[in-house]
Amino acid sequence: MVLVFIENPGDELSQQALVFARALGEEVQAVSIDAGYAPAAWASSIAEVISRRGPSAVIAPGTDRGNELLAHVAARLDLPMAANCTSVTPGDPATVTRVRWGGSLLEEALVHGSPLLLTAAPHAVAAEPVGVEISTLTPSLDGALGVIEHQRATVAGVSLADASVVVSGGRGVGSAEGFAPIEELAALLGAAVGCSRAVTSAGWRPHADQVGQTGTKISPEIYIACGISGATQHMAGAKGAKKILAINPDAEASIFASADYAVIGDLHQVVPAISEEIRKARAR
Amino acid sequence: MKILVAVKRVPLTGGKIVLTEDERAISTRHLGFTISPHEECAAEEAVRLVEQHGGSSTVLTLGPPEAAEQLRDMMAIGIDGGSHLVTSGEEWDPQATAAAIAEAVRSEPEPYDLLLFGNESADAANYQVAIRVAYALGLPSVTGVKGVAVADGRVRCEQEVAGGRDVYELPLPAVVTVKEGLNLPRYPSVPGRLRAKRKPIETRTPARPEPRLEMVRLKLPPSSGNRVEVLGHGPEAAPAVVDVLQGLGVI
Amino acid sequence: MLAAGLVLAAAVALSVSAFVVRARFLVALLRAAPAVDRSNHVPVRVRNEATIVLGQRKLLQRLGPGLAHAFIFWGFVVLLPTILIAMIGIVDKRSTLPWLGHQGWYALLDDVFAVLVLCGVLAALWIRKVQRPPRFEGSHLGEADLILALIATIATTLLLWHATRIALGLNEWPRQWSPVSNALSHLFARDSATRVLERAFVWTHVLTILAFLAYLPRSKHLHILTAVANVWFGATGPGGRLEPLRFDDPDVPEDQLRFGSGTIADLNFKEVLDTYSCTECGRCQDACPAFATGKLLSPKLVIMGLRDQLLAQDSAPLVPGAVPEDSVWDCVTCGACVQACPVSIEHVDQIIDLRRHLVMVDASFPAEAEPMLRDVERASNPWGKPQSERADWAAGLGVDVLEPGVPAPEYLYWVGCAPSFDERARTAAVSTAKLLKAAGVDFAILGPRESCTGDPARRIGNEYVFQAFAEQNVATLNAAGATKIVTGCPHCFNTLANEYPDFGGAYEVIHHSELLAELVRDGRLEPTSAGGRTITYHDSCYLARHNDVSASPRELVSAVGRPVEMARSGKSTFCCGAGGAHMWMEERGKPINAERVREAAATGADTLAVACPFCTVMLDDGVQTTGAELEVVDVATLLAEAIPDGSPPPVSESRG
Repeated sequence: MVLVFIENPGDELSQQALVFARALGEEVQAVSIDAGYAPAAWASSIAEVISRRGPSAVIAPGTDRGNELLAHVAARLDLPMAANCTSVTPGDPATVTRVRWGGSLLEEALVHGSPLLLTAAPHAVAAEPVGVEISTLTPSLDGALGVIEHQRATVAGVSLADASVVVSGGRGVGSAEGFAPIEELAALLGAAVGCSRAVTSAGWRPHADQVGQTGTKISPEIYIACGISGATQHMAGAKGAKKILAINPDAEASIFASADYAVIGDLHQVVPAISEEIRKARAR
Repeated sequence: MKILVAVKRVPLTGGKIVLTEDERAISTRHLGFTISPHEECAAEEAVRLVEQHGGSSTVLTLGPPEAAEQLRDMMAIGIDGGSHLVTSGEEWDPQATAAAIAEAVRSEPEPYDLLLFGNESADAANYQVAIRVAYALGLPSVTGVKGVAVADGRVRCEQEVAGGRDVYELPLPAVVTVKEGLNLPRYPSVPGRLRAKRKPIETRTPARPEPRLEMVRLKLPPSSGNRVEVLGHGPEAAPAVVDVLQGLGVI
Repeated sequence: MLAAGLVLAAAVALSVSAFVVRARFLVALLRAAPAVDRSNHVPVRVRNEATIVLGQRKLLQRLGPGLAHAFIFWGFVVLLPTILIAMIGIVDKRSTLPWLGHQGWYALLDDVFAVLVLCGVLAALWIRKVQRPPRFEGSHLGEADLILALIATIATTLLLWHATRIALGLNEWPRQWSPVSNALSHLFARDSATRVLERAFVWTHVLTILAFLAYLPRSKHLHILTAVANVWFGATGPGGRLEPLRFDDPDVPEDQLRFGSGTIADLNFKEVLDTYSCTECGRCQDACPAFATGKLLSPKLVIMGLRDQLLAQDSAPLVPGAVPEDSVWDCVTCGACVQACPVSIEHVDQIIDLRRHLVMVDASFPAEAEPMLRDVERASNPWGKPQSERADWAAGLGVDVLEPGVPAPEYLYWVGCAPSFDERARTAAVSTAKLLKAAGVDFAILGPRESCTGDPARRIGNEYVFQAFAEQNVATLNAAGATKIVTGCPHCFNTLANEYPDFGGAYEVIHHSELLAELVRDGRLEPTSAGGRTITYHDSCYLARHNDVSASPRELVSAVGRPVEMARSGKSTFCCGAGGAHMWMEERGKPINAERVREAAATGADTLAVACPFCTVMLDDGVQTTGAELEVVDVATLLAEAIPDGSPPPVSESRG
């Protein structure tokens, strides 16, 4: 039996953890915890389930909390734990492939210990409905160390440096007003808006928005660069991006040498079309 | 207060990663070395806390002899001393690493009030060494912190979560892992660098136990090295773009 | 006679002691200042005294004001003995200096130069009062007026004194030798009134001179003494070299190390002498590209600010006390100010020393430059690119990469970081490599063993990081036995050629334009006169001004197209805006590159030729922001286009 920790029922990454768990070819059971977040207390409650149900593996989503919680479990039980796995092959020892270097490298590793403790790397598998009933634990938090207060974000929007999606415009945008479609796409994606040095030099946007070596260094999941040629100084700020999607009318633009995905065309046509397509996808 | 900061020497990979012949490490022939940005923030925070509250800070690393360079780098921004757990350069798994660190901490005559770590290492990213150290020492811990304040023997930590920040308050001594963005690490002054050359580094050579998370080999992700994938020309490419965004989970 | 002698003696004593009191203060400051070794190159220093001081070479770069000053200066030199003659005349109106006082030719010189001095003064007044050029903005104008008035008084009273003496028949020299005084003498009768006037003129003449002497060390006119010394101690080598700091001097305890200029106590001997020598003429400010584009920096105000704080003995930090912080960062180290300065002030060294203290001690500098500093140090190049990709630009070109232990061939090609990693700068390296191969030149590159020369770190003020790179690179080059280095980057050129000798590296360094021009001259490369490009060549500061390389690139331009010149060219070039680590800083206000591109476009050229990777990037950016119809191309690429098999291939696509 494989025990899957559900961080949030219905949440995509928890669903992915369930799908991931099926690779072990055993029955999948799911637990979630209904209590204020207190990692040590939560871990103790998971450890208690482990000792009661005796799973061969425990899997959590590779989120901040999934990783933290499972590390607590591992430390408590003195077991090895593999974080952010993209695949697992059962066995003794089990073999996993896990993500290192923020995704730029994979590691094949053997996990010597039972039960097997793993977290599933986000988006390693696609989420799909898995008909598993989730049992809910309600540990006592007496004296447990946990969240004492939640501060709501006061400022709307997301900072360029922290954003998981960044949509940027370059000289190709043409004017300060030309950023409207880029802002629209960013709003749809919950993304931060960035720009190149040429744009701040032209005074179209403030220096705070500049992505580049002399601006902000970004590390989003995807960087959408619109009308940006890809100057070295710009790319030095964008090299932390996991994926780059470049939109540029010039098929020879140097940004395409660093990009993962390319759309060859004028951003003023392409970007609104993408926004439109996202709205359609959301409506479905 | 007395603060420990743990850091890890990692190669500075800027572009495509090249592996060694045995595929068990990154080829570092032409690479510089650094520590993770999380750990730089941890060291900066330690220096600031000592500036505010007095006391001393120590930077610890488990790594090859060359990792002394990273200890000196951190001492250059104001960390007072170094502790070097010298290895012969092979990979230590998180359990072994945590055990060695806990042992070094325990042997310290005067205990630490605060142990700072990066949220995860830049290379292995196992997300667990600090928590294991906390359990070994019987200390409370909190991870992924972007705000730290110490008062009255307690540390208040802020963790960024969706929609805001969760706040924790831990009695000292405690283990805290921090994330980049906690502060802006200072640029080392030259007098600081010169002073760092004279600061003490204590070394010990722990024995490496058999790994229980045993790295077999490294490999490059299947997508890397590929040419750019052209999704299309003009507005007609929009559906393909949305497919990509959905695949990455950003829609 | 005795009374006059006593009064004169008292006046002289008063004036001299006023002078000495101040001079001792100034000399004490100089003696307390950290030393700079400028004992070498004595013949060059003698030549500088002859040309810059006596010949007024730098002043005459601007003919009108230069001549006005030269007349006053030469007049001052020629008329010096008349001070003695006048003093003798005060004591005994019938005596004069033996021999010289009787020479007709000297009387003629007196006349001619007194008139020239007056002409100079009038011209200076016209410039200051009528023309009012902006270079005087911020200078002490009242002080200058007072000095001009004193000089005019001295020259006028000399002529009138001579005139009255002729009228009274007291002239010891043949009167026909002094045509001006002689003509003026007809205004005076041989009577008692003239006898009184004769006394009045000589007294006024001498007392004005004595007042001047007392005032001299308290005014910008101090330069008439200090400029001679400042020119002597001026830098003799190529203008691009910075004075190194020493961090490993066993005689200096670590807590007394000097990290540039933090307070007045840090200003070195030459820097103190610089401040004494400034005449506030503003020629530096006029030449400064930062000032020209509305930045806060004025090199003149930097020197004046330092002087004022030094003389006030104010031990507060020099930045922002003497120099506003923005001024320090505005400098592009182009050296136009140093070149323009008539008294050999080294503004760039002064500004770099201010930066050094800010960066190395206070760790305070424009935040956007921090990634560059960290990347240079950690990744050995300013963009943090992997060293393993340094030779990627040469893929498929058959360029030899020198392995450790293998001796260097005839030429070591030092590529530089920008041509290695920047896609726009890369084309020039590809062209150069192809041309060198086509001409059969024996060369190799260091590939991943080449690293940043440390120039951007040095120019932003991190001497410590620079020296680490200097030592490492010198070790690599020396181990490879490199003797001749060719490079496409003028900044690398300057560092390798002029700064590495301070760290044990002595190489014959040439720029790719020089080598390529030589290959064309020798017929080893034969451009088939290419298309009808009209080309204007932009001189890189670090090539033309700092290292005097401006003919070779022009030879290449002439070989492949129709050259047209911009007004600011050769050693008088105008910076592209990237120097002094500005490639990695954000420019405030009007961009320098746009200004330069407009100047280039105004020549009607279709091609803006360059010979520097930073100029390439900056001017290409400028072309795009201004929309100018210009193509920015390195001279190597222009030549490659004109060689049948030398055309550059498309830049290889590599993932960044």
